[in-house]
Amino acid sequence: MPSSGSNFPRALIVQLARLGDLLQSLPVLSSLRERFPEASFDLLCPAPLVCLAEMFPGIQEAISWNGEDWHVLAKGSNGDLNHTFPQVVEYFSRFPSTPYSVVYNLNNHPRSVLAAHLFSEQVVGAGNQGPLHMCLPPWVAYLRHVANERGSNRIHLADALCGLCGMKPPAMAPTMQAIQIELSSDLASIMHDSSLVRIGIVIGAGDVDRRVPLATWCRVIEACAAHIPNCVCVLIGGAGEREAALALEDQLAPQYLSRLVNCVGRTTLPQLAHVFNRCEWVIGSDTGPLHLAVACGVRTIGWYFSRARVHETGPYGVGHYVWQHLGHGHPDLWPVMETIQLILHHEPVDSCSSEWDLWTSHRDEWGMFYSQNGKPDHAIVEREEIWERLSGMSLEHAV
Amino acid sequence: MLILFFAFYFSLLTFHIFIMNTFQQNIEILRLQDPALAAQVVESSGGTLSIQTAKSGVPTASVNDRSIHSAYDPVREAERWAEHQIKDCQEGETLVVLGVGLLYHVQALRARLPQDAVILVMVPDIAELVDGLSVRSLQGWGERVQWVGGDPEQMALQVVQQSQRIRLLTYEPAVSIHPNSYDAFRSQLRDQLAKRVSGTLHIMVVGPIYGGSLPIAGYMVRALESLGHRVSWVDHSLHAPGYQHLDTIRDDRLRMTVQQRFSDTLGVISLAHVAEDPPDIVLAMSQAPLSMVVLEQMRRKKVLTAMWFVENFRHLTYWQQMIDGYDFWFVMQQAACLEAFKNAGASQVSYLPLAADPTIHQSVDLTPQEQQELGADVSFLGAGYRNRRELLPVLLGHEWSFKLWGNEWDRAGTLEAVLQRNGARIDTSTSVEIFNATSINVNLHSYTGMGFDPDGDSVNPRTFELASCGAFQVIDQRTLLSELFDESMMGVIKTPEELVPAVRTYLHEPERRREMAEQSKKRVVMSHTYAHRMQTLLSTVGLASPDRIGSILQGERQAESLMARSRDCPELLPLLKSFPATDRVELVDVARMIRRKGPEATLSREELLVLMMDEYRQEKRDFL
Repeated sequence: MPSSGSNFPRALIVQLARLGDLLQSLPVLSSLRERFPEASFDLLCPAPLVCLAEMFPGIQEAISWNGEDWHVLAKGSNGDLNHTFPQVVEYFSRFPSTPYSVVYNLNNHPRSVLAAHLFSEQVVGAGNQGPLHMCLPPWVAYLRHVANERGSNRIHLADALCGLCGMKPPAMAPTMQAIQIELSSDLASIMHDSSLVRIGIVIGAGDVDRRVPLATWCRVIEACAAHIPNCVCVLIGGAGEREAALALEDQLAPQYLSRLVNCVGRTTLPQLAHVFNRCEWVIGSDTGPLHLAVACGVRTIGWYFSRARVHETGPYGVGHYVWQHLGHGHPDLWPVMETIQLILHHEPVDSCSSEWDLWTSHRDEWGMFYSQNGKPDHAIVEREEIWERLSGMSLEHAV
Repeated sequence: MLILFFAFYFSLLTFHIFIMNTFQQNIEILRLQDPALAAQVVESSGGTLSIQTAKSGVPTASVNDRSIHSAYDPVREAERWAEHQIKDCQEGETLVVLGVGLLYHVQALRARLPQDAVILVMVPDIAELVDGLSVRSLQGWGERVQWVGGDPEQMALQVVQQSQRIRLLTYEPAVSIHPNSYDAFRSQLRDQLAKRVSGTLHIMVVGPIYGGSLPIAGYMVRALESLGHRVSWVDHSLHAPGYQHLDTIRDDRLRMTVQQRFSDTLGVISLAHVAEDPPDIVLAMSQAPLSMVVLEQMRRKKVLTAMWFVENFRHLTYWQQMIDGYDFWFVMQQAACLEAFKNAGASQVSYLPLAADPTIHQSVDLTPQEQQELGADVSFLGAGYRNRRELLPVLLGHEWSFKLWGNEWDRAGTLEAVLQRNGARIDTSTSVEIFNATSINVNLHSYTGMGFDPDGDSVNPRTFELASCGAFQVIDQRTLLSELFDESMMGVIKTPEELVPAVRTYLHEPERRREMAEQSKKRVVMSHTYAHRMQTLLSTVGLASPDRIGSILQGERQAESLMARSRDCPELLPLLKSFPATDRVELVDVARMIRRKGPEATLSREELLVLMMDEYRQEKRDFL
């Protein structure tokens, strides 16, 4: 088995999906490190997320996969193979040349499977039987079934990724290494003021149908300001949400503007991690930033509606809450005061239960799960049987 | 005074000696490269260019007071030209420079290219070259330039014998000295390259919803397929019933708005087809529902587009709004039309006359019943334009039978008596039967005025179709007719008054009619089929994009060519060797071949890289 030049085996984790998926790969990384403490792990991830992957504990090197470069190569030189192919060979030569002992591939997308096989002859996870094999590993088939059926399964995606790699969920929910990174002076002064209670509010969402109306966020901010002493609401979002953030400021009653910090489009991912790190709570409907907040050790309250489902993609760890919308469309009522009550008293209030269910996160030896009122139901108990059935074929892959 | 005289005389003498020395040195350089050309240069006395001194102190030139080079700094001007030209040049191309002048631009080009880059300079006029060689030295750069002289056909032959991957670089000021020679050269070069085509393209033809250009789109598709190209026809005539049903909307503005939206949707459908199966070029027919938004998106996606505008540019002027949308325009009119398109901003516009499809427009045997119904001494088939309504009644009341076919003849007056099938639209196959059944087919070009169109230049499709059927026709004079057909092939009338005498004359000369029609048929088969037109069109596009369409047409995407050129990437060889030598091989083909290995296959790094590229190639997320 080839090694990295030292006596320790080298492994690569391939995660080419989006922010949320990358962050949900932290548990499998943690399990792999626990199981193979002598191995070194690199992580292949999309170029824009490399700065974040570098903050993952135990990652030797975060390797950038630039989809745009591949696009240009695939569509360039007018399709003449004699021109494009040498360019691709040359491009690929910039990646680490020594094959990895093993690649843990966390995504069943063909690009991810191909990338895994480009880096090692031994692939664990998606594509483990070969780059052209159509047969899905049991955990991939399970995840596909969950994605299609949206049933009441209770195995969290992050734990399923562990199963996919032949691991059990880690003993503790992992977090990222806290880093000190410079913020602009106005943000820095608020983030480091120990007298303030900072509530992060993720105003955007990748899909339009998963966005919370700005008026609702205004109500949340006003309620925080009215009920939580020394509270400052930190608006979180990407560059594409700048206008929405400005519109929110316009809609907000003037007396609350001093209780608002607008970070939208002003931070890099590491800076955002730093901002999250300084928050007490983060509220939002966009699962990606919520996972980042969780990875930074913050407690979160998710508002899940549209296609977001608590059981697969709820914040990973103990002590998080998710309000799950019961309908299929856009909610009419929003759990504004109920959320404030949770922050204040850590207790659920049942005032809009006809539209929303409140779920609380827990964990046991089979990983994360969400329950209502802390009572394990049949689906939670079933997890053990699922783990035994699916992992019987894939547990304990050695590095 | 005497001193001044001697000083002036001395300076003249010195200048003369300089010229003589430069010229002699240049002749020696030229003789080493091309002794025959050197001998021609020695024999010529020059005199095309008028030489002056530029402000920068170097020679410059003009012709008839028109500057060929900058009057201030010809060297800098040439450098800018060369820098602009080399942006598109690719390795392995032969660069063919059009325009001689004082050769500053050639020197600047040479200086910016690698040693092994081949530059051919076309020399249509030896005298012009003599002028240049008299005042500009070739030393240090001219040794690595090749000169190609002769008539346009000879020059074109010499160029294609050197290379088939050609990029034309035009120095416009010098080209304008001999525009006809260079046009003829381009045309010859295009024809020569067309003869050497070995590669096949994927061409997407986008047709109109309905109208006169619809059948032409069909002929184009057949012609391109007959030439071996893969054709994807986006046939919007499927949507014609729906589009025409919109006529039931009574409010004009509302109807036009809905029609526009309908048309826009068809444009997006075209775009979806492009995304699904990207072609090498999209070839649109007049009236194709491709909006500027759709065309701009195609350009962003690097899809080449061409439009064959088979309309009278003076009557239908929508081309002005679309001019930037297409990379290539082909028009059926010359001079004024080409000028108008260029002035409007067309980057590439070329003359491409209409044609016939001999597999459709052909001689047919008719049954006596068909002959009885469709035949006549004299016939006219076409729509009821004003000039036709005005002229055709003169054919009534004579010793011959006369039948009128076609639609849009309502309120036809005296012509109603001869109007066939109540003015129903006549389909193509019936048209062919009518042509064959008629002794004299009258072919009057449409015109919204009286008589013959005074600006009548283009030749209508009927002319080619009649000829292709071997049917005799009497036709009104068009300025472009004589370069397509000889007068011995059809009865050409110059004024409306000549119509009746011509009919009378030819009606009594069946053998002459038969011979003339036979000649016209031969001409169509030899030069005027849609296959000829498509060859010309693709060669024109290939010449203008040598690294894309040009290289594909010359077979550079075929397996054998790819293998022969894969020295920089030997890893490619194992992937290519399973393809037949003359098959065009693209990334998608190699990827397909790899996937066929089956689920258990172990793939090499190169195979995995091909599949990875193919995955990214397939992405269409931002196409629509």
